[in-house]
Amino acid sequence: MTSILALAAKEDRLDETFAALANSTRRAILARLTEGEANVTQLAEPFKLSLPAISKHLKVLERAGLIVRGQRAQYRPCTLDATPLEEISTWAEQYRPIWEARFDRMDTYLQQLQRQRKMGCDDER
Amino acid sequence: MSDDNGGQHLVIERTFEAPPDLIWKMWTDPEHFAAWYGPGSGTGPGGAIDLRVGGNRLLCRGVSTPEGTIQMWFTGTYLEVIENQRLVYTDSMSDEHGNVRSPAQMGMPEGHPTTTEVSVEIEEVTGGTKMVLTHVGIPAESPGAAGWTMALDKLAARLDEAQRS
Repeated sequence: MTSILALAAKEDRLDETFAALANSTRRAILARLTEGEANVTQLAEPFKLSLPAISKHLKVLERAGLIVRGQRAQYRPCTLDATPLEEISTWAEQYRPIWEARFDRMDTYLQQLQRQRKMGCDDER
Repeated sequence: MSDDNGGQHLVIERTFEAPPDLIWKMWTDPEHFAAWYGPGSGTGPGGAIDLRVGGNRLLCRGVSTPEGTIQMWFTGTYLEVIENQRLVYTDSMSDEHGNVRSPAQMGMPEGHPTTTEVSVEIEEVTGGTKMVLTHVGIPAESPGAAGWTMALDKLAARLDEAQRS
């Protein structure tokens, strides 16, 4: 039961991460934060967006756990937290056994194919 | 790109005892593709491989479920087509007409991106061909894969740094 709940919570979290990343402004904000912490005014500079609009994006990122905001009232610097991004790898890793099996089949098929071709060539002689 | 990329991409490298042009055909010739991609896979009725940048692909695959094997359709667009070298395409679940279906609509767990991007690098090596597959998830409303991938690469680099320090 615990594991099912944990899995459900994890899926919710993944969902939130992807939703937060599904926006070019928010991705640009995260890219900016990889260079170091910044406050709302600094983050708003490259965009033609109002401070409240940027704040809204920051709230989404904060909810997804992708950024952490400082507590100082006037200057609340945002910093990047990459932990949720590690969880996305869970999704990608699910595909590993699928692709590995496919490539095993490709390998077998390639061997068959090339044996047949070789035999075909021998027959023509 | 190194293998240690923070885990956002799935990267698989394989070497096959076959020439690059044959590996290319494995991905681009419907008959060869069907032989390895999975049971019941291929262009099927109405499917297509329109092999050019911006061209569409529509392929089916047999998927076993508790109710028996069902046919699932996958669609996407070719983003890069460099013969015998590099193939990049997007991949989404769809109906048999190529209308994209979200993973949730298909009964998949939440968290699966609607669109993923697959790239295949093919390179001749001694005794065969090296093939590198990269599979990346793209958020549903993403206006462009490039920005997303770039941002992720930067974040992955940052993550690596954080883990080292």
